[in-house]
Amino acid sequence: MTEIIADRNTETPDYDDRFDAVVVGAGLAGSAAALTMADGGLDVIMIERGRYPGAKNVFGGVLYTPTIRKLADLDDAPLERYIAERRYGMLTDHDETAISISPGEWHEPPHNDSYTVFRGEFDEWFAEQAVDAGATLLTETTVTGLVRENGRIIGVKTDRPDGTLRAPYVVLAEGGNSLVSERAELKETEQRGNVAVAVKEVVEFPDDDNAIQDRFRLTGDAGAAYHYFGEGAVGDAFGGGFVYTNGETVSVGLAYRISDAVSGQPNPEGTLNAFKTHPAVAPLFRGGRTVEYAAKTIPEGGADSVPELTHDGAVIVGDAAGLVLNNGVHLEGTNMAVESGFHAGKSIVDAAEQGRTDADALSAYAENLEASFVMRNLRRYEWLMEAVENDREFVFRELPQALADAGTEYFRIDREPKESHAENAKERIMEAVGGYTGAAKLALRYRKIVT
Amino acid sequence: MTHNPTIVVGIKQVPDDDEVRIDPDTGRLDRSSAPAVLNSPDRNALEAALGVRDDVGGQVIAMTMGPPPAADVLKEAVAMGCDDGVLISDIAFGGSDTWPTSLTLARTAEYLDADIVVCGEETTDSSTGQVPPGIAAHRGWAQLTYVEELEPLPEANQLAARRDVEGGYERVVADLPVVVAVAFGENEPRPAGLHRKIYAENEFEPVTVDANDLDIDEETVGLEASPTNVGGMETIEGVDRERTVVDDVDELAEAIRSTEVFA
Repeated sequence: MTEIIADRNTETPDYDDRFDAVVVGAGLAGSAAALTMADGGLDVIMIERGRYPGAKNVFGGVLYTPTIRKLADLDDAPLERYIAERRYGMLTDHDETAISISPGEWHEPPHNDSYTVFRGEFDEWFAEQAVDAGATLLTETTVTGLVRENGRIIGVKTDRPDGTLRAPYVVLAEGGNSLVSERAELKETEQRGNVAVAVKEVVEFPDDDNAIQDRFRLTGDAGAAYHYFGEGAVGDAFGGGFVYTNGETVSVGLAYRISDAVSGQPNPEGTLNAFKTHPAVAPLFRGGRTVEYAAKTIPEGGADSVPELTHDGAVIVGDAAGLVLNNGVHLEGTNMAVESGFHAGKSIVDAAEQGRTDADALSAYAENLEASFVMRNLRRYEWLMEAVENDREFVFRELPQALADAGTEYFRIDREPKESHAENAKERIMEAVGGYTGAAKLALRYRKIVT
Repeated sequence: MTHNPTIVVGIKQVPDDDEVRIDPDTGRLDRSSAPAVLNSPDRNALEAALGVRDDVGGQVIAMTMGPPPAADVLKEAVAMGCDDGVLISDIAFGGSDTWPTSLTLARTAEYLDADIVVCGEETTDSSTGQVPPGIAAHRGWAQLTYVEELEPLPEANQLAARRDVEGGYERVVADLPVVVAVAFGENEPRPAGLHRKIYAENEFEPVTVDANDLDIDEETVGLEASPTNVGGMETIEGVDRERTVVDDVDELAEAIRSTEVFA
């Protein structure tokens, strides 16, 4: 053999305990944790099963960036549009009653920290920020289990040969389908009533370059987020639909509980097609062509479903920890993922300075998350899902119908006096809410949504 | 050989054919958006080479020709288990067709004291299959093409190969040095080990050689030295399918009879 090769040493080093921390999954929570730890001087490796970060990630489409903005320079980030208008539509099978808000402030930076993005692009960029800060990224590798010694988590097992890697800290950022955490008995498998199935299409408009700005009344980088609920959105299921504008495409999808998907509303794809052809929605997609179809599960168990967050040698963050808020008005998960990754990363940096890996040394993560908007918001709406479940017939079917009917009556043009139109409209509402007593009860039950 | 042969594997970075989009409006291939990846038949070549090393020992060295970013495929080869990787990079090689490419790879194999050169059967971006035989031809070495399986015969200093032929297979034995082209999909490429992959992607740096190191006259490589001359490209227009609705079987039979399907 030639000397140029013979003199080289290309032996495989042993990487056990060469890294301070292993992050399982390079999504938003994982990269936030890795970036925070790398900034804190730790050697971190992110292990991602996709070919690149974000390759496996699906979400509806709006990213909330208050914490990301603190961790990285968003000016370079691949953002699609900022959200300039929010619209909430209640759909019966053929009516829509909607409110729309588009404050002038949302047009000004930082645009209320709300942007549509493609996860395949954004997550890859965010992971790059962690790599630029010194973290190592390993793709196409699936973590299959945890390694324990005397009860303490001391590393991960992967699907590769020679696939065990030891490290003092493990950050579990594996997403909503958290098989590693479940197998390791760090959390229970979620009940199907607490998990939503979401389907989404990305639609382009090959024959109409101005489709998005014209149909959604937008200029420049402004975008729209439309949320829908009621029978016209998801049929008999508990959930809702959404429409979000990207740069050149529009995302349309819906999410509802898996428990409904196994009983009353079995076909998510068919439900999405029905939603797309609803008379209030169909004109938005005229001449559109579907270029992408995706599906995922969303944890919706709220604060009750959040598992123990810290363990000896490990923490759980993001969707894996069930950190998703869905109260019908707010659909937030990305901001919670980043916030949790940030607090988890910080607590590991602090624990490493003390040379400790036990759960107590990591408890600052759980405490800081409890004090942050993440757990405060989850706790605030803890009661809501149950209340809506009890009132689902009213919320998803009777109320949208009553509002549509009341609107029809109130604005009716005929030769009757407006007095009787107003009376009819009121009657229709009162009937649906169960009179003044019913209305008062409802107001009391749901007051915490707005107060 | 030798119980410790030097096995050199020629690999190439190509546009990912999974990501090459067909533009739905024009029907044309859009390669520009596709990321560069390891040519997938090369995985079978790497596996075959590593299999020989499993049997008789030796060293497996991956070589690739291209600009510095092509080093990524060498990292992938090292992750899979290659002992080293050589990047053959020189501005003089730009525009080379299969003739100067196989000349350059042949010179590199000689430079590395190769006993066995292993390649994939072809690359997915040009599909000529000319390079492995070209390497053998430039050096006057034996060649084994469309190989399903290799069997080293170290005592005899030979390499046996099983080749697929119509109605069965044949076993061909060649003296070393020999160039092997492995048939696509004939073996199961091994996954990279975890620690090896971390090393390959983060610490490994390939050896880089240029025309001067290889003692290659710059006049003999590159676009000017490439005999291939593309005469032109034609796009075939699609033909619309005719659709006819018939009311009954007799009418259908008549409609078919009036075509050239039945004489």
